[in-house]
Amino acid sequence: MSGLTVKRLVAGYGGDPVLREVDFEVQEGGLLAVLGPSGCGKTTLLRVLAGFHPASSGEVWLGERQLTADVPPERRGIGIVPQEGALFPHLSVAGNVGFGLRRGERGARVEELLDLVGLSGFGARMPGELSGGQAQRVALARALAPRPGVVLLDEPFSALDAGLREELRADVRATLRSAGATALLVTHDQEEALGMADLVAVLRDGAVAQLARPQTIYSSPADLGVALFVGEAVTFSGIARSGLVRTPLGTLPVSGEGHGTVLLRPEQLILGTDGVPSIVEDVLFHGHDASVLLRLADGTRVRSRVQGGVTGRAGDTVAVSVNGTALFFGDMP
Amino acid sequence: MRRRARIVTLAAALLASTLTACSSADDLIIYSGRNEQLVGALLDQLEDAVGIDVEVRYGGSGEMAAQLLEEGQGTEADVFFSQDAGALGAIGAQGRLAELPADVLGMVPENYQAKDRSWVATSARARVIAYDPRVVEESELPRTIEEVVDPKWKGRVGYAPANGSWQAFVTSVRVLKGEDFAKDWLKKFAANEPKRFDNNISILKAVDEGQLPFGLINHYYWYASAAEKGGEANMKAKLHRVGGGDPLALVNVAGVGIIQGSNQSEAARKAVRFLLSEQAQRHFADQTAEYPANPGVKSSKHQLPPITDLQSPDIDLSKLSSLQETVKLLQEAGLS
Amino acid sequence: MAVLPLVYLVVRSFERGGSVVWDVLARTRTAELALRSLTLAVSVTAACLVLGVLSAWLVARSDLPGRRAFGVLLVLPLAVPSYVAGFTWISVVPDLTGFAGAFVVLTLVSYPYVLLPVAAALRTADPSVEEVARSLGRTRRQVFFAVTVRQIRPAALAGGLLVALYVLSDFGAVSLMRYEAFTLGIYTSYRATFDRTPAAILGLVLVVLAIALTVGERRARGLVAHRGRRQPSAAPLGRARVPALAGTIALVLLTLGVPVVSLAWWLAAGTSTFSVTDVLATTGNTVAVSAFGALLTLLLALPVGILAARHQGRLARGVELAGFAGHALPGITVGLALVFFGIRFAPALYQTVPMLAFAYAVLFLPLAVGAVRTGVAHAPPVLEDVSRSLGHGRWRTGLRVTVPLAAPGVLAGTALVFLTCAKELPATLLLRPTGVDTLATELWTRTEVAAYAAAAPYAAVLLVVAAIPAVALDRFLLQDDSRR
Repeated sequence: MSGLTVKRLVAGYGGDPVLREVDFEVQEGGLLAVLGPSGCGKTTLLRVLAGFHPASSGEVWLGERQLTADVPPERRGIGIVPQEGALFPHLSVAGNVGFGLRRGERGARVEELLDLVGLSGFGARMPGELSGGQAQRVALARALAPRPGVVLLDEPFSALDAGLREELRADVRATLRSAGATALLVTHDQEEALGMADLVAVLRDGAVAQLARPQTIYSSPADLGVALFVGEAVTFSGIARSGLVRTPLGTLPVSGEGHGTVLLRPEQLILGTDGVPSIVEDVLFHGHDASVLLRLADGTRVRSRVQGGVTGRAGDTVAVSVNGTALFFGDMP
Repeated sequence: MRRRARIVTLAAALLASTLTACSSADDLIIYSGRNEQLVGALLDQLEDAVGIDVEVRYGGSGEMAAQLLEEGQGTEADVFFSQDAGALGAIGAQGRLAELPADVLGMVPENYQAKDRSWVATSARARVIAYDPRVVEESELPRTIEEVVDPKWKGRVGYAPANGSWQAFVTSVRVLKGEDFAKDWLKKFAANEPKRFDNNISILKAVDEGQLPFGLINHYYWYASAAEKGGEANMKAKLHRVGGGDPLALVNVAGVGIIQGSNQSEAARKAVRFLLSEQAQRHFADQTAEYPANPGVKSSKHQLPPITDLQSPDIDLSKLSSLQETVKLLQEAGLS
Repeated sequence: MAVLPLVYLVVRSFERGGSVVWDVLARTRTAELALRSLTLAVSVTAACLVLGVLSAWLVARSDLPGRRAFGVLLVLPLAVPSYVAGFTWISVVPDLTGFAGAFVVLTLVSYPYVLLPVAAALRTADPSVEEVARSLGRTRRQVFFAVTVRQIRPAALAGGLLVALYVLSDFGAVSLMRYEAFTLGIYTSYRATFDRTPAAILGLVLVVLAIALTVGERRARGLVAHRGRRQPSAAPLGRARVPALAGTIALVLLTLGVPVVSLAWWLAAGTSTFSVTDVLATTGNTVAVSAFGALLTLLLALPVGILAARHQGRLARGVELAGFAGHALPGITVGLALVFFGIRFAPALYQTVPMLAFAYAVLFLPLAVGAVRTGVAHAPPVLEDVSRSLGHGRWRTGLRVTVPLAAPGVLAGTALVFLTCAKELPATLLLRPTGVDTLATELWTRTEVAAYAAAAPYAAVLLVVAAIPAVALDRFLLQDDSRR
């Protein structure tokens, strides 16, 4: 395994660049999530890295080796896990996993990988007999089998239901860790990106808007766009003067001056006896937490995320206070 | 003949046999528009007469004429053996037939060969009326073409519009009786709602099966059908022969010509001579019940009058190839 | 390559100047024949769509007793040449002639062109769409018309197009049934006037009709249905079981019973003898020539089919269109076109098996292209990407992924071309090596002189030879594919 470095990468179709100057680096053994809305260039990035689409300019390095356009996909040492797995329908599970291995090394390695993804004994099954999650694990085992420099995962969990997705995410992360694999995960799901990756690159309009650890991305987004994309938010527009801005939730301390947007995460809104009075409009109970829709005195609706405990009922009047610092993004002049 | 041997070779070693053309320039190649069932046995005997290997290619006369014209100078064919004079006339008119030697032409009456000596008849067939005696008496049947269009036969006459013999018959009406008569006759014929058939065989079949009172066909189909049915007595349909030089008695011929530029012209001439020999002529008379073109030969099987006795209309058979006008006429009458 | 016949037709049409072309086109007869052919093509196609879709549903989706056996029997009529169907029907029902005769015979031999793709579509279509429709309160019948028909429309239309083109190009059945169709005009031109020009002009008209039909089909085709992960379950027929079974049996009797009984009767009643070695040798020729033709057609169809499956470009559409135009031409026209080009530009190959195989390829390319396209669609590009990322180059990927996945569809197409080649007559007569007979030419030689008894063994063997690939075809398309 080796690290992956991408420098000033530009690629597109016809005259239209889809990727404009993408830069990032994945440490050896690291997991980078590329997060972005559909159409931001995620798929093109994967295709360029895997060698299916030529870059217009820029560099791709796998460890010490530069992957120029003339290195074909089969000599890159980059494994891929496509959406919905894309298992070879005419081969058994073992046949799929062993597909990239030389004949002699198949038996033991296939067993080892099936074991790694928790599917020992499934070797003889055909892809049609697997569940979606199992198919996805086989696809991962298949990609890991030849010990690639990097594994690219293309929205690998998008076709699965929520519970399975959660479980599989953890499994995949563990598998990648224990295989010591360098991995690049492409997704439009912020929870997935933030929850799984060591580093997250937010891709927007073909360029990396922010590259940071998940906590940093969430707590200190580079701009309002990133902030809104990586998680639920409560926003107010306001004017900051001397580090203070007036909002319907009271005057909050911020860093910044002038016209701009104040951004709070729903979990920063604390319900209790202190603070601004508001009326509970609706409660969505999730088990581990609950989402409470509130109407403030001026009619503004905001959402609060509450951990367990009492949440009140629709029609109740509660007081809302703000915990922690609010983010402030000044308007572009 | 090496045909069977070649077939086996082909089946066994397809690739080897396909890389070389099957017929070599050393063979005599005959394009036969006449059916293999009718002349295959005879052409098998041809090899001894010409002294070199003979290859026969079978097909329809009209399609073969088109093929010969498309092939042009490049053709491998040496001899064209045609079911009718029209196809010979069509390729002769394009200069694709060589002149035949005098001794060959001398074996056949002058009205059964091309004026430009490009082809000669090998056998003849006459237009006849096949009728169903269960439905009509022979004495009631037409004796002239005028009687064919009598309204009493409305919807009861069969004809084969795509058949060369029918086209030749209509041409003879035009040539013999004039354009106006032909036009008028065709109009009446069409108004009589004749039944269309694909070919002579279908007409005869319809008559024999009692679906059609009578139809205009060639005489020898009746004998072929009788042979297939195991004897003349098994035929329900009977033949009615019209005389007196009426177009209904038109005699058409099968004939042969040598392809212009043949590199086997000596063998080709031998082949033509063989087709006019007593052996071949008797074959036509016995096996296919055709009139031998060589008047010196008689059938040993069928009661066929000599070709010189046929009361055929007096007509230049080469003219039967000038069918453009006929077809136009037929189209105008809605009969093509 | 598919354009060769078109070039030939243009050359021949205009050799005597444009006025001749205009004269031929302006004849009322030309319009009349075109209308008659179109009427027949539309009627037969409509009937084939109904028969094909119903029978496909019965064998692919219902609990019809013995539906596997019926699956084979219902496809077998593909093996019956239209001229054999024609003369056997006439001998059984002599009154069946004209439009009715041509309609019945052509419908009964060509509905499998619809049955095969529709059955395949019904097998792979996503059943959950139908289930949703039922849950929304629609009856099974309403669902069939509202949802299922929509899902199988592209397959049915593609099959219908093949039927329409086949009817336009057919000469055997229409001439036997004495229905004056467009091809009759073409043949009359060769046979009665020995004039190739009007025949060529009429051929061009056929090409125009074919292109119009092909473009129309493309417009109406719509999107290919979503493939489901599950196999649809068999629908119980309930009270319709008996009528459905009776109808299916009747269809089999009409399509296969009539030719088989009729041939048996001729074999038994005839006095003519036949040589077993001759029949065997001819069978060997037919198999060899048809196999060569099918393989060459496949080789030429592969790039076109892959292009059509993977790139929806203008080039792919153009090439496909040219292929379909050739499919509407009668064999004699394509045969003469190859005579014209062969003798001028490839005299060494003229009247050899490769040239004949080439003619088959021009005639039947669309059959193979369709199959290749369907086959390649079973091997989505993402699988090739995965294979290459696992270290296999382009060629090994093709060999290990694309070929095995596309092979069943491609083989089915090859089988279809094989049996169609075995039936082909007019081009075979023009282009076969001199002295080489096939079952079709031997059959023609004998039926032309009404030697039906002598023809019967050849017809019977032809049915068997063509039936073997038909069964193979059927097994591929109708089997339960548990590994998918």
